[in-house]
Order: sequence, then C-alpha cells, then structure tokens
Amino acid sequence: MKAVFLGTLAASQAAPITGFITEAVRSEIVGDGDPVLLAEALADAEIVLTGAWRTGYPPAPRLRLLQVPLAGTDGIEVAALPKGVTLCNAYGHEPALGEFAIMMMLAWRHRLFDIAASFRAGSWYWSPTVGGPTRGEIGGRTVGIVGLGHIGHEVAWRAAALGCRVLAANRTSREIPPSVARIFPMSELDQMLGECDVVVLSCALTAETTGLIDRRRLAAMKPDALLINLARGPIADEDALFEALRDGTIGGAALDTWWRYPSAAEPAPRPSRHPFHELQNVIMTPHCSPRTDGTIERRSRDVARNIDRLVRGEKLENIVAVT
Amino acid sequence: MKALFLGGVAADTARGIRDELPDGLAVEILDDPIEHARLPQAAANADILVSNHWRADYPPAPRVRLVQSVATGVDLFELEALPKGAAICNAFGHETAIAEYIIMAMLALHHRLFEISGEFREHGSWRTSWVESGVPHGEVRGSTLGIVGYGRVGREVARRAAPFGCHILAANRTARPPEDGVERVFPLTELDRMLPLCDTVALCTALGPETTGLIDARRLALMKPGAFLVNIARGPVVDEDAIYAALRDHTIGGAALDVWWQYPTPAEPARRGSRHPFHELPNVIVTPHNSGWTAGMVRRRWDEIADNIGRFVRGEKLINLVATN
Repeated sequence: MKAVFLGTLAASQAAPITGFITEAVRSEIVGDGDPVLLAEALADAEIVLTGAWRTGYPPAPRLRLLQVPLAGTDGIEVAALPKGVTLCNAYGHEPALGEFAIMMMLAWRHRLFDIAASFRAGSWYWSPTVGGPTRGEIGGRTVGIVGLGHIGHEVAWRAAALGCRVLAANRTSREIPPSVARIFPMSELDQMLGECDVVVLSCALTAETTGLIDRRRLAAMKPDALLINLARGPIADEDALFEALRDGTIGGAALDTWWRYPSAAEPAPRPSRHPFHELQNVIMTPHCSPRTDGTIERRSRDVARNIDRLVRGEKLENIVAVT
Repeated sequence: MKALFLGGVAADTARGIRDELPDGLAVEILDDPIEHARLPQAAANADILVSNHWRADYPPAPRVRLVQSVATGVDLFELEALPKGAAICNAFGHETAIAEYIIMAMLALHHRLFEISGEFREHGSWRTSWVESGVPHGEVRGSTLGIVGYGRVGREVARRAAPFGCHILAANRTARPPEDGVERVFPLTELDRMLPLCDTVALCTALGPETTGLIDARRLALMKPGAFLVNIARGPVVDEDAIYAALRDHTIGGAALDVWWQYPTPAEPARRGSRHPFHELPNVIVTPHNSGWTAGMVRRRWDEIADNIGRFVRGEKLINLVATN
C-alpha cells in the first residue's frame, strides 16, 4: 500500500509516523503547490495524511483512509472526498494542553512574570525580607472549564489535585467525574462564569461557540478573573476581549490561540488586529501548547497504528466520517 | 495573662488575629523592639512571647512560658536568654504556596514558557508554533521528578505532581515509607543514585551540616544534561560557583532559583543574590526568596498561631512544639 503525506503539517510528522508503522507501507511526501506532482502522487494512494482536502484536488481513485494527523478536521471538505473513504483524526495532545492550562493559572496567581522580571532587574521588592507584598495561590480557587472533553478532563483532575473547586460547562450532559463539583448546561454558562477565578476554554470551534465569550459574558466574569484560551481564537470576541483586558473588566488572559495566523502572503503577522502584546496582563504564546515531544510521539503512534489496521483489514479508530 | 508581640511580622500577626484571641488575654504590641522604651516593662510581665527573634541583650522576660515563633525557623531566638522550661513553638502554613511554586517552575521550565512567550510578545515569532510545525518543547508527563528532602513541603509537592503522570522519587535523611505517589525514597547518602534518573530535581531540604554544598560540581555532573534544578530550600544547599558554571555551560538544562547566597543589607539594599550574574542567564527563573510568601500562607500561619495561643491559655496540648527550653 502507498501512503502520501500531503502538505507541510503532515510532512513534518512523516519521520516519526513511518518509524512506528509495522506493516509494509510505501510512503511519499508531496506538497500541494504543484498540481502535476500532486496528481501523480494521489493516482495510486490508498492512504493520505493531511490537514487539508479541498474541492479541485486531483482524483484519488484508490483512496480508502484520509488520516488527519491532528484533532481538528475543519480543513477537510468532506463533500470533496471520493466515495468509500474513511476520515479519521488523531489525539495525543491532551496531556500537553492540560499541563499548559495549569502552568498558566499558576503563573498568573503567583504573578511569576512580574516577580521574575522585577528580581532579574535587581529589585527585592517582592521579597518578605524587605516587607514585600504577598501574592496569590491557586489552591481553594474556582476553575471553570468550558467544554469538558478530552482536554477539559486533563485540566480538571490536575486542578482538583491542586485543591481547586472545579466547575464545567458542556453542550451535552455528562456523568460528573470525581474531580468536578458541578456541570452546567451551556445555556447556564453565564451563571458559571460569575463564580470562576479562572476560566479555561477547551471546547471545539463550531457555529455555537464562535464568539461565545462576548462582551456580555466578559462582564459576567469576576474583575480579577483569568481567561485561558487553548481552544481557538474566535471562541472569544476579538474586540470585546481586547477591551476587557485593556479596561480591567477581567484580570488577565493567557492566550495560545488567535484570530490571525501566518500565511504565505504574511509569514509573521501579529496574532490579532489589536496590540495584545502591549498589555501587561496578557501571557501570550504562539499556539505552541500542543507542540511537545510527548504529543508528537503519542500522535505518531496512534496514526501509525491506524495505518497498520487498514493494511491488516482491521477496524479503524478515531473515525470522524465515512463517505 | 499577657502576650507580647514583638517586631514587625509579629505586630502584623497581632492585628490579623486580634478577634481570634481568648477573652481576657492582655495584648501588647511592639513594632520595633530596639528603640522602644516600653520593652523592659513589656518583657517583665509577658507570659507569651510572639516574635521571630530574641536577643541576649534584651531586658529579662522571667515569666515567659510560651515562645511562639512567627516563622518555621527558630534560629534567630537566643534561647539561653529565655526562661528554662518555656515551650518553643513554630508555625507552618507555607507548604501549599511552595508546593505550587515548585509545580509551576517545573512546568515553566519543561514548556520553555519564558523563552516562547518572550519572543512571541517582543518579536512576534511563530517559530515554536504548532501551526508552523515549530520547535517542540517538553512536558512533565512521563518525566521523573526527584524531591530532595521529603518533609512537609516535599509531600505536598508529590501529591500535586502525581496527577501529571510523572515518576516521583525522593531522597531523605531519615528513612520514610513512600506515599503520595512517590515510587521510592532513597536515603540521602544514596542521592548520587537518584540524581541521574531525574528530569527535575526539587530541593526542599533544611540547611544543615549534611546539606551545605550538597549539590556540588560532581553531583551537577551526575544529572541529565537537560535536567532542571528547582531550589526553594536555602542558597548554600547548592555550591554557588558550581551551579553558575553548570547553567552557563549547559551541564544541566536550567533552573528556578528562589533562595540565594547573599541578601540585601541596610548598607547595600539592592545587593544581588549572588556574586555571579545569574540574572544574565536565559535558562534561569529567578525570584527573591518569596516562594512561600502568599496571602494564603499568612492567613494559615496566623490561624495556627491564634490556635496555639488559645491552647496555651486554656492549658491544652500545644501544636508545633519544637522543644522545651
């Protein structure tokens, strides 16, 4: 069988994935820039690994498995796929995101950036030896998780071990895990927000969640609350969030996902049309939370296992759609 | 019965716990012991002394039966100048703050938080981004944490680290059963066997003859080349020259240092914490000996002190008894 790694994202994972494949699979790496090369590669491919599939791609008559090497399948136009294809995604990033959220809430409550920068510059201002001010802790605080899926659970049990009261809001009703004190239906999100010292966004981007955190909901949050966005930028309203942070409607934000990303035309854009980088109450990172050694290994193993399953005619995992 | 609160920290404590103290207990507060003309009279009739120190040249305090330290350490009390038979008690409440600090430092070092957020904010760099298939960073899951000093703080660290899915080892002077997710407790004499296994080493030990210079050039060389050191104990537990060289030369991966080898003095209020420029090293997180200094810690410590004073007044068993003078 032949597997094609299509595009930069898939190509970057080709080495670890092929390393974990045990069945006989030929692999080929191709970009999406040259239609002739792409047509040749797809003509006899049974497996394609890619984050994007668009209308107008050359025919792939033998394609059976379209494996997205990440969780989000929003780059795949399912209607543009040939018949008889199984679309699968991959996980493995949940522990990395769980760690990232906890790191951010600790860094915020402990004022790590302020204190480390001040001391690096030579000031003992924050030290009890000179009667400096105290800082906060996360233990005993209330953490609200919007979207209690794989990632939300990873955040919940670590936060519970730190002595936090954990609340969650979820679209569908779920059994309450031991780490969570209460689950709110999404229709009662506003009520949950008012109770939280930290709000973690870990839901998928859908029509319902686009702009979910808008001006009204930001105003419903505590004035010293921290918003952590690990999900997708547009779940928060860009203008409203910038204003809320600038004007102190909420305490701060740790943002790893954005409204603007690098493109061929603009390889290094600022991540928003607003200057979030000028706000001192924002911890900002370039959508790096899933990009750990551990995620790469877990995800590569999962993808390789799915390819082996296809070769052996076994049932596939992480099926998103069948055409 | 009378309690004397002596010094700035004790004075703050007195104001914080006033409503919790037993009825009928007289309270005297002296913010500044040295210059205060009231000290001889205040010391003469105090039954309880709440302070962080006592000096041999202070006026006599013949009636004191409870010496309540406002800190964990009682090393600043010159005890021979206080009555024989007095109970010496200390206070804790800092475990949560310090354990959280260690978990935070471990995460920030593995995830390269300062480097990534700094270059994104300042230069708009996407080179570590997932969408660019950028340079990956580490995570705590699957790594090994070694806790040197498995006491109150060490146990709280283990409890919080366990759900991260890391292996937890500990080294302790006296033997202890492994609990709270710790897989194995090494005797401190076998520290050299634990160090090469660790991705993070957290120093939570007291400073004593056995721990001064414990982490020296030889032991730093035993650590993994990418390993991180977190020190919340005391500066001199680590050899100052050796750790500076190890961080500068990347013998180890990085460090979070909260405790130092030198401190500000009235003559030199802006003195750096070391004779070496740790503040110039990008792989070090530096904080000014405040890992335990949180509002929660102050409240818990006040509550312990108020509780103990109440016990003393009612003639009940004391908590946090360090020694009888």
